[in-house]
Order: sequence, then structure tokens, then C-alpha cells
Amino acid sequence: MTVASEAKPLTPVAAGTEEPKAAMTVGQLMWGRFRRNRLAMFGMSILIVIYVSMIFADFFAPYGVDTTHELYTSAPPNGLHVIDAQGKFHWPPFVYGFEAQTDPDTLRRTYVPKTSEIYPLGFFVGGEPYRMFGVFATTVHLFSVSEPGKVFLLGTDSNGHDLFSRVLYGSRVSLTVGLVGVFLSVVLGAFIGVVSGYYGGVIDNIVQRAIEVISSIPQIPLWLGLAAAVPPDWSPLRVYFGIAVVLSLVTWGGLARQVRGIVLSLREIDFVTAARYTNCSTLRIISRHLLPNTLSHVLVIATLAIPGMILGETSLSFLGLGIRPPMTSWGILLNEAQRVRVLIQEPWVLWPAFFVLLTIVSFNFVGDGLRDAADPFAGE
Amino acid sequence: MLSYIARRALMTIPTLLMVALISFVVMELPPGDYVSRYVAQLEASGQSGARDRGATLRKVYGLDDPAPKRFVVWLGRFVTGDFGDSMIYQRPVREVVLPRVPLTLALTLPCFIISWIIGLSLGIYSATHQYSIGDNLLTVVAFLGLGLPAFLIALALLVFNWQVSGEAMIGLVSLEYANAPWSLAKVLDVAKHLWIPVAAVVFTGMAWVMRVMRGNLLDELRVNYVQAARAKGVPERVVIFRHAVRNAFHPLIMALGGVLAWLVSGTAIVELVLGLPTLGPLYIQATLEQDVYLASSILVFFAALLVFGNLLADIALAWLDPRIRYD
Repeated sequence: MTVASEAKPLTPVAAGTEEPKAAMTVGQLMWGRFRRNRLAMFGMSILIVIYVSMIFADFFAPYGVDTTHELYTSAPPNGLHVIDAQGKFHWPPFVYGFEAQTDPDTLRRTYVPKTSEIYPLGFFVGGEPYRMFGVFATTVHLFSVSEPGKVFLLGTDSNGHDLFSRVLYGSRVSLTVGLVGVFLSVVLGAFIGVVSGYYGGVIDNIVQRAIEVISSIPQIPLWLGLAAAVPPDWSPLRVYFGIAVVLSLVTWGGLARQVRGIVLSLREIDFVTAARYTNCSTLRIISRHLLPNTLSHVLVIATLAIPGMILGETSLSFLGLGIRPPMTSWGILLNEAQRVRVLIQEPWVLWPAFFVLLTIVSFNFVGDGLRDAADPFAGE
Repeated sequence: MLSYIARRALMTIPTLLMVALISFVVMELPPGDYVSRYVAQLEASGQSGARDRGATLRKVYGLDDPAPKRFVVWLGRFVTGDFGDSMIYQRPVREVVLPRVPLTLALTLPCFIISWIIGLSLGIYSATHQYSIGDNLLTVVAFLGLGLPAFLIALALLVFNWQVSGEAMIGLVSLEYANAPWSLAKVLDVAKHLWIPVAAVVFTGMAWVMRVMRGNLLDELRVNYVQAARAKGVPERVVIFRHAVRNAFHPLIMALGGVLAWLVSGTAIVELVLGLPTLGPLYIQATLEQDVYLASSILVFFAALLVFGNLLADIALAWLDPRIRYD
């Protein structure tokens, strides 16, 4: 699928008649095909919801990321109810108050709901202060309950942090580190791939050997080794970028190889030869002719690489090799689940896995849809 | 053909050298090293003479020499089969690594065979019954398997197992059987532990194979020769299995190249999470604690398996497909 650099009508147009309207652009055609793919649209809408709630995490989360509720450590999820113990219907939904008790047999802490105390959800209530977009201070949260009631939609961890709020804040790291990593991968891989494919010869050989060496190391050990090389005394933000770089280093090779393949097949096409004969500089040939034709493939590969990056960050942080506290991500939240004794008694700490799954599946749907939309020969 | 094999085999040597170099460099990047950490630990627990011990250890492992010299020395011994000594276990690397290989393979080989058999069969079914209820269901299953990392599935199965049976299936054997001689009961106990990692790994592996097979077969079934064969009156079963599936399988042969390396390294995180005494957790531990020789040796071992596996896959592909002839 090639894009002519300049489209001019070849047939002479009689004076006085209007220029024929341009046909749909490639982008519009792709979007049209994408829209017809229901799974892809479904995945896209889920991703939009997830990313919007990531941006407005402070608003959607009832509690702050570091807020601890010392009386309620390791509490199970607080169910939302609409019908109370007497059978009365309430709106808005409410939560029961609950208190900690120690089970006399196992000496374990259990939380017993007190059906006498009813705390209805309040919407758009004032809660903890935060800065929207880091700019203007406000205290409005989407929902909360008035003290001393607590709403723990997904339970709490061993420090008493509300898991639901932390999942929302953690999404900021988990969702963006994949994007940053893919962006780095694309920049590095596409550029090197185009240069390697266009120049050929020695440069091509060196690049291919380098990619081969990197791909000779299995992915998981390479991730682990590189992630362990990120110094532990770096600030959390630097570690974040370090992890993004590590994730991108593993995938840029495949992207470079694919781009190189496309460039190899494009190199001999007429408009490139024409550009060379009209004395176009190499840079212009690369940037105006070769790169745009690789874009659709790069977009598909990049979108399909994001789930791998999210999984990579989750796995690394789960093992303690990724993002460092106090930054939080879904992988770090799942780190709580690593101690099996804890996990068995508090299975709700696995909830972040559901969000990981949802995000990855949605990205897969969108990526598949993009791939089918970009390929003009895809059947029904 | 033979010249191609010879050339590829020769090229693996510089590749492996580079891998050894990369893994050594990566191990050197974090500040400090194993001995300084060990000394810090000793001092924290109040033991005296920690610093002297540290100096001795440094001399034994050659950590005082500059990194390039250490690398060259280690590499020189590597080609003779001496992979250096592990600092954590204070034994030669070879003694630490080799006993774990059979157990690792005993776990991963069945996983590989089962997941590929199931994945291929379901992929073929999915492609030949496209858009049916079965296909849609299998698509959902595949996305679950692709979207969840295997270690999370393993953890979920662990919780499920505990809620049903009340036992935590960590490690290879339960406490009672740890030092007991082999008996039927012990075998059953191992099976009760191992079904969790096997199920988790098979689930994710099968999902991938199924999706790839389905996609490839769907592409194959659109090619002219399928229509020609059907028009000729060839039975559908023959069309699909003897013709389409054989062609659809080709891209998967490239994937098979990575299997050899996967057998020892791909399930590392699952094994770590479940506390299994296999190669993966050993490598993770070596990396985390900067046991340079152990980690680098294992990494070169993984890479060698990957390179060798890819070579075998390329040869197999060239042998199977007469259109591919590298010269």
C-alpha cells in the first residue's frame, strides 16, 4: 500500500469545470474499516474508559494513594448494597459499617459487618485535597462515604491502603510506561530499520548482526538482567524511565527488522527511483517517501507491542525489579500477592490482575482491528 | 545446504561471545557486588571479622581485578568447561546448575507437548468452524490466556486449590515427603503440587498456538489450490489436513526454534512464584544478588539453546519447503 507523494490529476480539465473531488485518504479508509470491526470498537471504548479514569484518578478514587486506614488493614471488599437487613430499599447504594474481631480459633483478624450502621454513598462529595492536573487544588471526589464509614470496593492491603484507589493511581504508571516504551522502540527501530534497509551493505550487515545478538537472548532473562542493572538508588522517576528503556531495548529489534523488510521492497519502486534521479537528498527520500509508507505497519506493530510491555512492567514490578515505591503500579500492587500465605487469606489482592487483563485484551482487540484495517486484502 | 548449515554454525560463535559480553556488562552495571552486599549483611547481624572475610572472598573470586581482565579469564575457562564458581552457593557453577536441569525439563517438556497438541487441535477446529459458537468461545479463552501472565494464573489456581483442599501447594513436595524416599504417595504428592504450574503454563501456551494456527489456516484456506482441490472432489478432510494444515504449519516451525530455550527459561517467573527448585528461580536469584559467574553462565546457556534451536528450525524449514533455498 503506497502513498503517492503528490496527487495531481493527469487528465486536463476543461476550463470552467470544477476540479474533481479528491478520493478518501488512506487514513479515512482505514478508519472506516476499523469502525466496522465490532471487537476493535469495543476494545477501543474500554481503553478510552480506562485512560480517562487514569487521567482523573484523583477524582474517581475515594481515597488518596498513600492514605492508610490503620483500623482496617487487610480488610475484605466492602460490598455495596441497596437492600438492607430489614428489606428496605435505599438509594444511593450504601455500605455497612464494620469492625475488626479476632477469631478465637485461628487468631485471625476478621471483619464483621454491622448491619445497624448504614453509610450511603455520597456523590461529588468533598474528600481529601488533591490537585487536578497538578494545577488547581480541589477536594471533590466522585463518590465517598462520610466518616467513620469506609468504602473499600476492592478491600485493603496489609498497610491499610484502599486497593481501589491504589489501582486507579497505579494505572498511571502501568498504562503509560508501555506507551513510553513503545514510543522509544518505534523511534529507535523505525529509524534504524529504514537506514539499514535503504543503505544496505556494511551498515545493514552490522545492524542485522546486532539485532541477532539481542534476539539470541531469551526475553525473560534479558528483561530480568537489564532491569536488575537499573541502580536501586535512582529516584522513582528515573527508575520509571529506566524501565521504559529496558522494555524498549528488547522489542526494537523486531520492529527494525520489519521496517527494513518493507524498505527493501520499497526501494526499487518507481517513485523512489524518480526521486533519486531528480537529485533528492537521501534525507528527503527517507523522510518523505520511505517513512510514510512504513507508518501503517509500524502503527500496527506498535499497538500489538504495548500489551507485551504492560505485561513486562507488571512482571518486573511484581518481582521487585521494576518500578520502585513510592511510585505505584499494578505490578507493585500484585507484589503483595507474592507471599502465598498472605494471598491465600486475602485473595482480593489479586484484583489488579483483572485490570491488567482488561487492558491487555482491549489493546489486542484494537491492534487486531488496526491490522485488519491496514491490510486492504483482508477478507471478511 | 551443507554450506548453509556450516556457515550458520560458524556464525553462532561470535554471537555467543557477544551474548557473554552483554551479560557480563549488564551484571557489572549495578553499583557494588555480591561480596560487598554479603559483608554488609554480616556486619548487620553483628558478626566480627566480616571485612576480612570480604577481602578473602574478593581474592578467591578475583573481584579485585578490573572487569575486562575478569571477563577474559572467565571466558578462557568457559571454553574448557569450567564455568567459574557461584558466590551464593560457594560451589562450581556446573555443580549448581546441572542438577536442576532434569527437573526443569521434567516440568516444561510435558507443558510444551500438551499445550502444542491442544493448541493445534483447537486452532484447526477454530479455523474450520469460523464464527461458530465454538470458535467464539475459544476466542474468549484465547484472549484470557494471552492477556494474563502465567504466574498470575498460577497464583489464582493456588488460591483456588487452597479454598478447596485447605493445603498450600508451594514447592515441589509437602513437608512430610521432603526427605522421604520415593514412593507412590510421594509421586502423587508431587503431582498434586505440579498440576498448578503445568495448568498455568499450558493455558497461556495453548492460547498463543491456537490463535496463530487459526490465523494461518484461515489464510491458507483462502488460497486457490483449496478451491481447486474441492472442485476436483477431494474429500474435505484431506483438503484440510493433508494440504492446508501442512502449509499453515510453516510459520510455526520458526516459532519452534525458540522452544528449546523456552524449555529452560520461559517458565522462570511461574517457578519462582511457586517456589520450585528449577533453573529459572536460580537465574533470578543469581541476577538479583549479582552472582556474576553463575548468572552469566546461565544466560550464555539460555542463549546457546536459543541459537541452536533457531538453527534447527531454519534447517527444518529449508528441508520441508523446497522453495526456500539459502545460498
